[in-house]
Amino acid sequence: MKNLKLGLLPTSLYFLCLFLFGATFSPAPPKVHTVEISQMRFNPDTLVVSKGDTIVFVNKDLVTHDVTEVSGKSWKSPALTSGDTWRMVALKTTDYFCSYHPVMKGKIEVK
Amino acid sequence: MKILKSISASAIGLLVGLTLLLTPALGQDNPTLSDAEVAHTAVTANQIDIDYAKLAQERSNNAEVLKFAETMANDHKAVIDQAVALVTKLGVTPEDNAVSKQLLANAEETKEMLRTKSGAAFNKAYIDNEVAYHKAVIEAVEGLLIPESENAELKSLLQSIVPALQAHLEHAQMVQAELNGK
Repeated sequence: MKNLKLGLLPTSLYFLCLFLFGATFSPAPPKVHTVEISQMRFNPDTLVVSKGDTIVFVNKDLVTHDVTEVSGKSWKSPALTSGDTWRMVALKTTDYFCSYHPVMKGKIEVK
Repeated sequence: MKILKSISASAIGLLVGLTLLLTPALGQDNPTLSDAEVAHTAVTANQIDIDYAKLAQERSNNAEVLKFAETMANDHKAVIDQAVALVTKLGVTPEDNAVSKQLLANAEETKEMLRTKSGAAFNKAYIDNEVAYHKAVIEAVEGLLIPESENAELKSLLQSIVPALQAHLEHAQMVQAELNGK
């Protein structure tokens, strides 16, 4: 029994260290942020997030919108009719706009 | 009467007739549009811009103009659908009236003018009219239709339309500046 207890001790210490190390140094889990599209605006129009966070766009307007990366080439949501939602994972800072209403602009800032 | 002055100042071509019409319609500072007439006027104003968009889709080859026209057709259709759904729920039958009639008469003249143009001249005439029309409609919705609405839901719907009209106006002005090479 004595040998058995001594044998378990290093294993316990290993898991204790793993727990403490993990609790101290692992990155925060990804968050989910919401951008509401209403009154022809992205609310908030500037959103600060961490890399890997999810952003959910919710269209609460009467009319169809989309979310298009500013160059129009990197990424673009499908057409979002009233009530639709679209999710994306934030990987880098970018400006975006609504391609149907180019005066509607927003920014995702990845810190 | 203040609204009459500001409307006529913002879009003379479109609104000379409308202003002349609104004077008797509003009486001596005594507005008389019923909710049924407000609803009809709102639907008419939206349908007119859809008709302009259809003309643009037939006659323009400019990508920016076509994209703008497509947005106008879709957005104003969405507004009409909301208005129809609301009046159906309220049991109101939209009622033709002098303001709607004058809007349609003016629109017919504008469409005739647009049909005589093609190419760059059409694009310029269409976008110039879109800028003037949206300015005029914003003035009319804020200065006439919203104050005239008695039903709270109708008033709220009209208020919710204004930001879209303003975004359309700014978009039209962007395209106008591009067409003018600015």
